[in-house]
Amino acid sequence: MDKIKLRQICFLFAGMMPLTKMIVYPAMLAYQAKNDLLLAAFGNFLLEGAVIALVMFLASRTDCTFFDLLQNTFGKIGAKIIYGLFAAFFLFSAILPVLEQKAFVLQVFYENVPSFLSFAPFFAVSFFASVKGFKSIGRAADLALPVTAISLAVILLLSLPQAEFSALLPVGGAGAKGIFSGSLYGLNWYTDCLYPLFFLGHFKYEKHGAAKVMLAYAAGTAVVLLFLTVFYGIFSDIALRQINTIAQISKYTTAYTTLGRIDLFFIFAAALPLVFYLCVPIQMCVHCIRKIAPACNPVFPAAAVNGAMLLAAIFLNYSFFEVQTLFTQKLWWVFALFCYAVPILSLLLKRGKGERHE
Amino acid sequence: MNKFWTRVLLIAAAALFLLFFSNDFGLINIQQTTIVTAIGIDRSQEEGKIDVSAQIAVPNESKASSVLVQGAETVGEAIAEFNGKTGWYPTLVHCRLVLLGAEAVSENVFASLDYFLRSEFVEDSCLVAVCETTAAETLQANSPVGDLPSSAITKVLSSQAQKTGQVSVCNLRDFAKGYFSDSASGYLPVISVKKEASKEGGNQSSGNSQGADSASGGSQSADGSGASAQSSNDSDVFDASKTALFFQGKRVAELTAEETLAFNLADTKTDFAYGDIEVFENGSKVTYNLKMKIGKKSMKLKFEDGVPVFTFRIRAKAQISDADKASGIVEVAKTALVPAHVLRAAEEMFRAQLQSAFEKTRESGCDLFRLRQKLYRFCYPQYASHRETLLQDARIFYDIRFDTLR
Repeated sequence: MDKIKLRQICFLFAGMMPLTKMIVYPAMLAYQAKNDLLLAAFGNFLLEGAVIALVMFLASRTDCTFFDLLQNTFGKIGAKIIYGLFAAFFLFSAILPVLEQKAFVLQVFYENVPSFLSFAPFFAVSFFASVKGFKSIGRAADLALPVTAISLAVILLLSLPQAEFSALLPVGGAGAKGIFSGSLYGLNWYTDCLYPLFFLGHFKYEKHGAAKVMLAYAAGTAVVLLFLTVFYGIFSDIALRQINTIAQISKYTTAYTTLGRIDLFFIFAAALPLVFYLCVPIQMCVHCIRKIAPACNPVFPAAAVNGAMLLAAIFLNYSFFEVQTLFTQKLWWVFALFCYAVPILSLLLKRGKGERHE
Repeated sequence: MNKFWTRVLLIAAAALFLLFFSNDFGLINIQQTTIVTAIGIDRSQEEGKIDVSAQIAVPNESKASSVLVQGAETVGEAIAEFNGKTGWYPTLVHCRLVLLGAEAVSENVFASLDYFLRSEFVEDSCLVAVCETTAAETLQANSPVGDLPSSAITKVLSSQAQKTGQVSVCNLRDFAKGYFSDSASGYLPVISVKKEASKEGGNQSSGNSQGADSASGGSQSADGSGASAQSSNDSDVFDASKTALFFQGKRVAELTAEETLAFNLADTKTDFAYGDIEVFENGSKVTYNLKMKIGKKSMKLKFEDGVPVFTFRIRAKAQISDADKASGIVEVAKTALVPAHVLRAAEEMFRAQLQSAFEKTRESGCDLFRLRQKLYRFCYPQYASHRETLLQDARIFYDIRFDTLR
């Protein structure tokens, strides 16, 4: 049940990864980097792309899982400790995206004041996905690609006429500090490069596999950069207040038509793949726990992790901005360590023989 | 996990997922919800306070109502009062229009307008306009075609009206962008109510009376003046041909209808306009009504020998729509051929109107044509040295050329 196909990893990057960067991230970026938000985002993509390329290089050289590599180098106990740390990290890294998605759903999809219960079913979906392992990530990616492609194409086409692209000028106007802080504080949204590391040994490396994954990642990057371009072209000086960005950019074309806000259909559609992508770090967390305690029935760690996430979502219900500030401005180094330093260092791990995990 | 539990979980997840896209657990009963279609903001008689009026469409009523809250400190307080005094919970998601009273714009309007930017439940795609009188009176006007006044005004301010150049339409997002930009400038159409048309029946008068009743019973009184105004058969039409200019949130100048048309030809999304051109033919004055299709328009800022030069460039094709003289059948047949002297007169007229509009921006400080923004974006090295004096120092060129359609 922990098998995933290379095609599905490609779809994960092309069809699901871009959506996570279309809710709060653009507004944060506009606040930090102003009209240079593309440079700040491109810096992050370049770094993350480099890490993915390195991990794919590793995949081409070994059939071992990441756990096997750690075990070969540090022994079983050492590998379990590191997996324990990663389990904690995945749980930690899932908090802000889940709160982000919760606020998005409750603010955009309802006219009145909805209760928290409206979002609670997410945790049932997440629990189910966690029990099913990597296989469900792959299947979700298969389904997500066409949905995301159509939704984003329509949303962007509706938004383009409103965009004034000269708003992105002058290049470098925000200064190096603004661009750098935009990149640094955006690290929370760039945890995707960690997933291929944990997929190691769970997918069959094909010829030109790295090129295919990189191409898919480049496609996802291009979509996000286009989205940010249109976003800043539409809002320029007031861009920083546009949280729930994906629901904001297309409304100016549709609001006064006789059809009304037909773009909401596509925003709804885009929210679905996003839900499944938010499950990925939670699934990864459960995966790590199962590696630490392989005899344990997956239902128990899945219930525990999703229960913890549910409690976190309840307790942090009114603390989104505090959590965002903490994660982006204070704890950026945690993301840098786990998402960039560890995958790069994994190239140094001993590539002994490992079991192929199906 | 066996297949049975997999299926049970799948069905449970699917059922629960319905909650995700529904609002069965919403806190507000739809039967107690009013849909606010427009908000009017006026300066109150009490110093430092505002009067807020709302045009509302009640779901289970067939008629529109207006309610007024007087002497509120903030728009948010007034909205809360609507709920407290009437029992209706106002939803602003469908608010398509924000009207500012004539006196309200003498102070920084963003003291009130920022409410709509702060709230996640108000769309900043709503139109904003200034009233020639008070917003409350304007929202009580009697539309000749049976629309809600707010609906009639939104039609006057439609994107189609913008395309013909008669109105300078502005939504809250664009107005806020101008205010929060380096220029701190913006423009809004001025809505004036004119009693011109005659209406059969008086369907809407009862709607306003109902609204007055619904808001009564508290310190915030309902405004009944509109109800009496609507009891007659006189109908009102709305004119938005003038444009108010804003600097730092305050109204500082006003463009005439002709200047508004020239501004629209030069800057906004107008691509098909009508205009009257006066010429002298054989010693007598003749007025031609020209239909103009704008081919190209641009506004460029560049530096020549250290001096900022701002150039308006407009290319348009014209054809004769009408003339106030009896023409021969050959002239009527050749409406696409505009005499050269009429074209030159059109160029001169629009140049003069544009110049007049620009002079108003210079005098008032309103950076209507976004010179500072262009300086920042396209001439960044000169930005620091010229941003304060740009409006005064810039040399303006008007490169306007009209050609005949064929």
